[in-house]
Amino acid sequence: MGTKWQRVLLEGLLLCLVFFLVFGPISSLVIWSIAIRWYWPHVLPQEIGLAYWKQALGLQRDWAIAAVSIWDAFGTSILVAVTSTALVMVMAIPAGYALARFRVPLKALILLLFLMPKAFPQQPIFVNLLPAFTRWGLAGTVPGVILIHILVCLIFGVWITTSAFKAIPQELEEAARSVGATRWCTFWKVLLPLAAPGLLVSTVFVFITSLTEFTGTFFIGLPFVTTLPMLLYSSSGYNMQFASVIAIVLLIPSLLFMVLIQKVLRPEYMGGIIR
Amino acid sequence: MPEVKLDGVTKRYGKVTAVDHLNLTVRDGEILTLLGPSGCGKTTTLRCIAGFIIPDEGRIFLGKEEVTRLPPEKRDIGFVFQNYALWPHMTVFQNLAFGLQLRHTPREEIRQRVREVLSLVRLSGMEDRYPRQLSGGQQQRVALARALVLRPRVLLLDEPLSNLDAKLREEMRFEIRELQRQLGITAIYVTHDQAEALVLSDRIAVLNEGRLVQLGSPEEIYQRPANKFVAGFIGLSSFIKARVVTVGADAAILETEDGVRFKAPKNGLAKGQEVVLAIRPEHVEILSAPSEVLDNVFQAEVMRAAYLGNSIDCRLRLGKWELRTQLPPGRVLSPGEKLWIHLPSEKLILVKA
Repeated sequence: MGTKWQRVLLEGLLLCLVFFLVFGPISSLVIWSIAIRWYWPHVLPQEIGLAYWKQALGLQRDWAIAAVSIWDAFGTSILVAVTSTALVMVMAIPAGYALARFRVPLKALILLLFLMPKAFPQQPIFVNLLPAFTRWGLAGTVPGVILIHILVCLIFGVWITTSAFKAIPQELEEAARSVGATRWCTFWKVLLPLAAPGLLVSTVFVFITSLTEFTGTFFIGLPFVTTLPMLLYSSSGYNMQFASVIAIVLLIPSLLFMVLIQKVLRPEYMGGIIR
Repeated sequence: MPEVKLDGVTKRYGKVTAVDHLNLTVRDGEILTLLGPSGCGKTTTLRCIAGFIIPDEGRIFLGKEEVTRLPPEKRDIGFVFQNYALWPHMTVFQNLAFGLQLRHTPREEIRQRVREVLSLVRLSGMEDRYPRQLSGGQQQRVALARALVLRPRVLLLDEPLSNLDAKLREEMRFEIRELQRQLGITAIYVTHDQAEALVLSDRIAVLNEGRLVQLGSPEEIYQRPANKFVAGFIGLSSFIKARVVTVGADAAILETEDGVRFKAPKNGLAKGQEVVLAIRPEHVEILSAPSEVLDNVFQAEVMRAAYLGNSIDCRLRLGKWELRTQLPPGRVLSPGEKLWIHLPSEKLILVKA
């Protein structure tokens, strides 16, 4: 009996710890986002309200509240993230398949090349790119920002996609060919369903990376293109309430993705990867 | 009409020649085994026939049609993989139906044929299972069924039993043999397991280093191995090097460098020729006393004996040569013990040195 209670107690403590680790930081964000006045040494805000939320969502305009409507930035963020994710995956899926299956000359070099933008400090790269982007008329435009996001995200797309395809035994493809499926048909009917979990993970990674990208957007996009992270950085430090509102908004797409993954990933598909 | 024909098929990987100018004809309705040690080119050959690999040289025919450069999906072959290669996201039914759907077979016929082939491999009623819900043996039967349901021209099997445990492997050998006979399908079977090859095959093609070493029925291969490699690879053999001393009217006398003399059938031997004697364990007879009437009687010394349950695996020393034999159990042998042995001259296998 004693050991059973000990186990229950241990499990309970672990659960609390996990709960605290996951929701602790988020709860602090939630509290900040509804705090109107919150001064040291009080543990909880002295005055709470939805003023910052209302202002951020464009439901009111009060000069005393240091927040602006986030809708424009939100729209830009989603537009940039969705477009660059789609473009990255369109490039990454064939590239990943080729890198996983064919003897590509200089394969290591190509994979390293994708890694390059991440291997160096970002700032010098973007500063270097700015004159070129200006010359091409891309600086300060949404296409310019999308291009820079593709540059930053391609690495995740290609690397995760490559390993997703690599994890599928070659024989599964050959078996399909032997029963009469063309290479194209094999790709759609066998490879893609089995690679789906990996491709989805890759897509999520790329989407989140693009959604939260700051440095590249800062150099290439400003002052004409404002995404949510730009708003967040410009208000953080002195305006915790508005920053918290944006941070929570930024969390929403990733939470939605988690739910989507739960729904989409059938165990049969996982079978291809975990074996 | 030859069903599968290889004409000078060659495949190189860098400096290594995996398959070296292989000529082979597989007859209609027979099961032919490609047998050899790992790296002998047997799997590469099979994959060339399937179309997964395009050979560097040579031509491959299925029936009268040349298929050397035809993609696998156009060859009308069935392939069974060592690791089953069932599609994990499809049920057994979907796995079997996939090829039929690609051929636009009517739905009712698909259902009918899947049911038939499943009963053939004794998996009736398993249509809705996923591969991961089946045992290894069942998965391999599904893989076999998937290849058979399309009624292909040729069935290609790449070490299909290697992943199964010993007992199941033995059962499945007979099962595959039965199925192949029953359907009269032409089959090419790749294995490195000589016992499997002997049980299964109409003919065996022994490969070594990418070349065809010997082609023949299991009996021919076992009783008349073409060379030392075949004699050592199929069945157990002990080897003794000797030189022909005299060739008489009906027999030849051979002598080893350490003075052991054998009487052997003279077939085509010439004086002074170097030969290798291959001695099968079952051809070593143990005598209770020395004999005056028999030829090839020697005294040998027991080196090691291992109890195998139904027999004793015994290593004997004869001069400087080691002889392996199997004795009935129940006899206690200790190293150093002397035994009288008889090697019947008509059973000695002579191979090229």
